[in-house]
Formats: sequence, C-alpha cells, structure tokens
Amino acid sequence: MRVLIVEDEKKTASFIRKALQTEGFAVDICHTGEEGLAAAQNTPFDAVVLDIMLPGRDGLSVLARLRALKLQTPVLLLSARGEVNERVAGLNAGADDYLPKPFELVELVARVRALTRRSVENKATVLRVADLRLDTLTRLVQRGGTEVQLTAREYRLLEFLMRSTNRLCGRMMIIEKVWDYDFDPGTNLVDVYIRRLREKIDAQFEPKLLHTVRGAGYLIKEPA
Amino acid sequence: MTIRTRLTFWYAGILMLSLLVIGYGTYQEISEQLRRDHRRRPDDHALDETGEMICWVGLPAVGFGLLGGWWLTRRALAPVARLMAAAEKIHEHNLRTPLINSGSGDELDRLTEVFNAMTARLDGSFTRIREFTLHASHELKTPLTILCGETETALRDESLSPAEHDRAVSQLDELRRLARIVDGLTLLAKADAGQIILARETVRLDELIRDNYADTLILAEPQDLQVELNLGDPVNVCGDRHRLRQLLLNLTDNAVKYNRPGGTVQMALRREGGTAEYTIANTGPGIPPETLPRIFDRFFRGKHAQVGIVEGCGLGLSIAQWIVTAHGGKIQIASEPSILTIVTVQIPVFDADPKSA
Repeated sequence: MRVLIVEDEKKTASFIRKALQTEGFAVDICHTGEEGLAAAQNTPFDAVVLDIMLPGRDGLSVLARLRALKLQTPVLLLSARGEVNERVAGLNAGADDYLPKPFELVELVARVRALTRRSVENKATVLRVADLRLDTLTRLVQRGGTEVQLTAREYRLLEFLMRSTNRLCGRMMIIEKVWDYDFDPGTNLVDVYIRRLREKIDAQFEPKLLHTVRGAGYLIKEPA
Repeated sequence: MTIRTRLTFWYAGILMLSLLVIGYGTYQEISEQLRRDHRRRPDDHALDETGEMICWVGLPAVGFGLLGGWWLTRRALAPVARLMAAAEKIHEHNLRTPLINSGSGDELDRLTEVFNAMTARLDGSFTRIREFTLHASHELKTPLTILCGETETALRDESLSPAEHDRAVSQLDELRRLARIVDGLTLLAKADAGQIILARETVRLDELIRDNYADTLILAEPQDLQVELNLGDPVNVCGDRHRLRQLLLNLTDNAVKYNRPGGTVQMALRREGGTAEYTIANTGPGIPPETLPRIFDRFFRGKHAQVGIVEGCGLGLSIAQWIVTAHGGKIQIASEPSILTIVTVQIPVFDADPKSA
C-alpha cells in the first residue's frame, strides 16, 4: 500500500510518515499543492493525506482538480481551520474523510487504513471473533453460546469494533461513528463504555478479546 | 425635565413677556391719545376695557403658545427620538448597520454621522479582537498538532521506561485538553464573526435527549448519582443535530461534574405552545447569586472549578449559550445554592413534519 502525504509543515509530515511506515505503508511526501497534484496524477496511490492549507494551490483545489480528472484515489483531508462547515464542504468536494488538526495519530492511521480497505469493507450480517457472535439482523450478541444483554449504545460500540476486528480504533473515530458527535466531548465516555463492554463480553470468558492500547485506542483482537 | 417641556415653557414665557410688553405699550399709547383728543383725564372706563381685552386675548394666546410650542418641539426633536431608538438597538453584532440620516443636512444629521463614525471605529476594534482570537487559535493548532503527534510517536517507542511512558501519557492528556480549549475558542470566535452556518434539519429533540440520558447514566455512576428523565410527547425542532448533541452533553456533563456524591440529576422536556422547554437540574453546591450573571462568560469558573476539583475547559457554558442562541432560543440558570441548580433551555418547536403534528 502506497500513501501520498501533501503537507507543508515538515515536522507534521515527518511524524505522519513515521506512523504510517510503522503500519507497513510506503509513503511519499509533497510540500506544496502543485507537487502533490502532479504526484497524484503520475503515481497510482492507494490513498492521499491532503492538508487544506497549503502554499499556492490549496488542498480543496487540489482535490477538485483530481476529481475533475476522474482520479478516484481515496482522499483524507486534514485541516487546522476546524470549521464546523468545512467537513461538509470537504466531503462535498469529493473527499472520503476529514480530520481536524490537532488529530490523534492513531486516528489518522485508522482512517487511512479504512480508506485503503474501503473496497473490501465488511458487509456481513453476522460478525464473529473467536466465540463472540453478533447478529446484526436480530441484534443478538452471544459469547460462548451465552446471550449477552447490551444497551443500544454498547451494541453499536461492539458492532463498530467487530467490524474493524484486529484494527486499532481511535477515540475520536469511535465518538464519531458510535456517538454521532463531530466534536471532542472531552469526557471519558468511551473509556467507561469500553469498561462496561469488557465486563459483559470478556470478564467471565477466555481468551480476552477487547484490548485497550493506552494513549492510542481500542481494538477487538482475534486470539492468535 | 425633558428638553421638550423646557423649550415649551421658554417659548410660552417669551410669548407672555412680548404680550405684556405690547400690552403695556398699547395701554400707554391709548391713554396718551385719549388725553390729547379729549383734553381731559383719561377715560378710566376705556382703559379698563383695553386691559380686559389684553387679558382675554392674551391668555388664550399664551395657551395656544404652550400647545404650539409643545407641538413644535416635538417636531423639532422627533429625529432625536428616532436616533435614540436606533442607537438603543446597537450591540456588538450589528455595529456595521449605520443609523439612517434624514438627508436634510441639519445638525441632527451631523450628529448621526458622528454616531456612525463612532460605531464604525468600535466595529473596527471588535473585528480586530475577533480576528486576533481566530488567528491565535489557528496559529496554535500547528504547533499543537506537532506536539501531539511527536508525543504520540514517542509513546510508541518500546524502549521507554514505565515512568517515561506515564509521563508521556500525562503530557498527551494535557495537550489534548489544550487542543479542546483551542477548538472551543475557534468555535466561539467563528460564531462571533458570524462564520458558522448551522446544518439545520428536522431533529427529534426528545430522541437526542434520550440518547444523552443513556450517557448521563454512565457518567453519573462513579458519583453514585440518581438520574431521572421525564420526556413528554415527541418534539421536533429545526436544528443542527451535532450542535444540539454538543449542547446536551455540555449541560449533563456540568450537572454531573458539579453535583454532590449521591445527589440527583433531573432531566425533563416539555412543550409550552410553540416552545420546547428542556430543563436539567442538579443538587450540587450551586452558584452563588453574585456569580450567576457571569456564569456564561468565557473562561469564567465558579469557585469549585477554580480550586481544581473539577476538570474542564471553561468554555462549556459559553458554547452552550451560543448554540441555544443560534437556534433562536434562550438559556437561563437559576440556582439555590446547595439545594437545586436548574438550567432551562427554550428552543422554538418546528412542526413542518406532518407525522409529528
């Protein structure tokens, strides 16, 4: 998988590269919109991380040009402006995802991975991880054959985590997808829900499936 | 005494004085003539008549003078009244709307121009402050992004000792708090500049509250709070779903954070005619009356928050207030310290959806 980063701030580009490389991506960096546009046209990238505020041609204009050229490379927009309407404007301009600065690195990695895997998205109606089973039609959750009672929110959280099995999910991504918030609530809601979910699906069972990576995020992992 | 009354009295006084002067002059003239014509003592009778006549004509004339003066000054001062009414409507957000000139080029038009120039200068200052806040929050984001990113990168280093790791995690927590403050500042600065357009749609307020209630139960658990919900019929509002969720979360977060252990949080939604009224009450120490007026001020923290018992960014209620105002609503806080603190939010109901009517 090859990713293009278009970001004028060199330090930011550098730690994004490091994080993506650790996850096994090949990474190219451009520092201006023009360079980024040329690179995206010449090389078939699997995803582009595109900053909106760039010297010269800005990110939105690069995006518009790419889409006008019928290039459908998935694009994750980064923005320091953090305007409430900017997300909508970016998505309307053809972006696949949007991340306001300052972001959590794990969020960025999770989102880039989601973009590159979009085509093989998990559309199954019954999700299974080890002996944990979630049926999206009947909303029935079982661990080791025993039914587990979940609240609506716990259920949504579990479904989200199971759909991204083995992938680290950032706090903001969970907040966005499970809570439908487009802002950082600044509470420990996610931690608390994860703890409750763990009590229900993991406490009395082995092996443990739900993991917390401190300072990074959460994931449901298929036992080795 | 108003200018109008004062001018009227002056006007009547001058009229009276001139009448007296004219009357006295006429009296003298007539008596002189009588003396010359009849070469005898002035006819007292004729003089008395003249005096009476002056009285009878003079007094009503003064009366008319009073009325006329009243009317005249009203006319003359009407532009001032208009100017006053217009100036009263000026506040921080409409400084750019100039007061209307009558176009006659008189002194009052000059005054209007002076007013307009003054508000333009004020507007300039406000705009500069807003732009400063906006730029400051933008400029802070780049270094914050780098700090967060590099701290996170450092955390992934497996050679970190547990103590170093903990320190980095703690730093990251603080950086994220800083990031939330900057986010809040950006939001408010943009709102002040009128740069935020709400993504309005028909929203079931009762459903948002029910969702929020589920989270409140969870947030309230560590403090062993009792959370009550009282929802009436479905209520639709025309609003921005995300901002309304943010509002509800800000309010419940406060109700939980500032509560006493074992206390209660009561949430209720009811419909009052065309208004949806949401109230959330908590049994915390409350807000003393002297700080109540400042509770929506940015970065204003009550004494409990100041001593560091409660963590937060200090912008929650300011943001809540902006969200409510942007939805055409009102937010109020009433507090009886140590008994009950109630936040009331009123938002216009939206009934275009026939299913809910």
